Amino acid sequence: MPERLPSVLELFRITHNYGSVTALNGIDLALHRGEFCALLGSNGAGKTTLLKILANLVRPTEGTINWQDKFPERHQIGYVSHRSMLYEELTGLENLLFFAGLYGLDLPIQRADQLCDQFGLSDSKVYKVAGYSRGMRQRLTLARALLHEPKVLLLDEPFTGLDQHGYRALTTILKNLKSQQRTVMMATHNLQKGFELGSRMLILDSGRLVYDVERETISMGELEAAYFGNIRQEVAG
Amino acid sequence: MRVVGQIWTMTAKDLILTARSRHSFLTTLFFGLLILVIFNFAFQPGVEATRLSLPGILWVALLFPGIIQLNNSFQREQEQGTLQAILLSPVDRGALFLSKCLSNWIFLICIDMFILLAFTLLFNLRVTPRFFMIVPIILVASAGFTAVGTLFAAMVVSLRAREVVFPVLLFSIIIPIILAAVSATQELLLREQLEYLGNWIQILVAFDVIFLSAGFLVFEYVVVE
Amino acid sequence: MPTYLAMLAAIYAAFLYAPTEMVMGDVQRIFYFHVSAAIVSFAVFIGVFLGGIGYLVTRNRFWDSLAASSVDVGLFLTAIVLTTGPIWSKPAWNVWLKWDDPRVLTELILLVICVAYVILRAAFPEGHKKYAVCAVFGIIGALDVPIIYMSVHWWNTFHPVVITMSEVKLDPMMQQAGLVALGAFLLLASVLLLQRISIRMHNMITKDLLKHLREQE
Repeated sequence: MPERLPSVLELFRITHNYGSVTALNGIDLALHRGEFCALLGSNGAGKTTLLKILANLVRPTEGTINWQDKFPERHQIGYVSHRSMLYEELTGLENLLFFAGLYGLDLPIQRADQLCDQFGLSDSKVYKVAGYSRGMRQRLTLARALLHEPKVLLLDEPFTGLDQHGYRALTTILKNLKSQQRTVMMATHNLQKGFELGSRMLILDSGRLVYDVERETISMGELEAAYFGNIRQEVAG
Repeated sequence: MRVVGQIWTMTAKDLILTARSRHSFLTTLFFGLLILVIFNFAFQPGVEATRLSLPGILWVALLFPGIIQLNNSFQREQEQGTLQAILLSPVDRGALFLSKCLSNWIFLICIDMFILLAFTLLFNLRVTPRFFMIVPIILVASAGFTAVGTLFAAMVVSLRAREVVFPVLLFSIIIPIILAAVSATQELLLREQLEYLGNWIQILVAFDVIFLSAGFLVFEYVVVE
Repeated sequence: MPTYLAMLAAIYAAFLYAPTEMVMGDVQRIFYFHVSAAIVSFAVFIGVFLGGIGYLVTRNRFWDSLAASSVDVGLFLTAIVLTTGPIWSKPAWNVWLKWDDPRVLTELILLVICVAYVILRAAFPEGHKKYAVCAVFGIIGALDVPIIYMSVHWWNTFHPVVITMSEVKLDPMMQQAGLVALGAFLLLASVLLLQRISIRMHNMITKDLLKHLREQE
């Protein structure tokens, strides 16, 4: 097994409750630089909650997060959910410029143009987001998440609702990110995609981390067995 | 300072969005004008009692329409998910609060200028130089109204009963504003000497300072889970 | 418990110890309860304020119980003030409730704020958000109380309404009775507050236990 790069952040005994519902139960996890973690699990397993806690949107009921870098946390995080989180009545470019302003970037216009080119939005950036297709929205959301060059990118079910074209485009983009040694955690219930893109497989079940394995050491079949094995336990119990 | 830049960026965004969809401005303005017209019918012109009620009528028309805008200020952001996007960024939560206050306030005073004009016309008021002293009162009173309203709007954004709970919260707190503003206006319109105007403005300013500060400090607890 | 004794003392003081007031007769005696309740109804907002800040800082639900229980006691006290008021004002001024009396107005606003708090609380499902939002509203409300008092007071000063409370010179025995009543009400309020808090805390503990039991199944 290759040496792991130093950890970017560590989670200790993270527990989170929504009222009387326990979403996460005692999660211990360390993310390492350059890892592409596929976070797998059925609906309600706690994937979204975990990502939100990592993104600093939710403070966990118990437990701590330690970031290895002294830099203010929110500067290091990029977050993409299946909601586009864009202003419909602003143009693509205006959206990027707005968030560039919030992140305090130098040369915001250049950066925005650069990202638009990278994500194939150069022609559409002057049009209002309201007129964008789902695929275009997804790409703009990703661009926005990468504006400030975050160390950690968090993706929550990014393939939801995409057509074939968007599917392929997103896969290419994510593969590029992987080759850039960026740390990524992607929640998905698409085992195929998770296996294809990820370097580390994590399975979450009812708020517990039940499986944590390097991608190279297993096959797709073994992953499927592990995944469905967990679900079967739930039905029997 | 970076914070000022962030506030400006967010306020500018709100104002641009409002300018692009003129519909919210027009609806709110219409509501205010409607209130004036209804009062015009309800109160007989020329009767002394009407004259005495004028300050009260004016302030109902100036402030009530603000509820619509305040409620909406976080509604769209929540629906579009952009509120979450802003919270993800390094922006200070207090700065977000101030920027929303600022954009809501600017919106309200623009509406209020039209309402004031309509009020003067509908109720046949004589416009003396002294009359224009209403403008600073409007500025100060609407600032306090906006501060509390913005805070509460953020608090109730996730509730289904939002439309009902929000006015209940808001009006139980801003009674001093109405009291002070109406009394100050009474002085301006109906009395010869302006003895207590300064006192009322003091109260309004104190209200503004206290609740803008309080809102700034507690806002992060309201928006972050 | 001591509270009963204190309340008994207050009742004794009000009805028997204090001399009969000249103008109004025995009805005036309810005044002691009325004023004491009013003073304490302001004081409970301190509990709301501290509870609010305490919860935001520590996220410990004790503080939330303090704030919510203070509001409950506040509701109770403002209701007392607004019902004992008419008992006194009808014989005095021949009117049930004088709406432009500054003290009636202030007490009414306090009642409104307490009711608004309860409505807000009821609208939220259980969870941190609920307690945080109520804490904030409580803090805002408590900050508002002195402003309300000042503005209503000035409103009355500048446009004096025809009445004034004429109890400027109080017979020393009456003064003593007043203090006893005040003390009794403070004690009563404290006891009620502690009771409400302990009820809330017990509820919370029970719910947690149930949850644990359910999870273990």
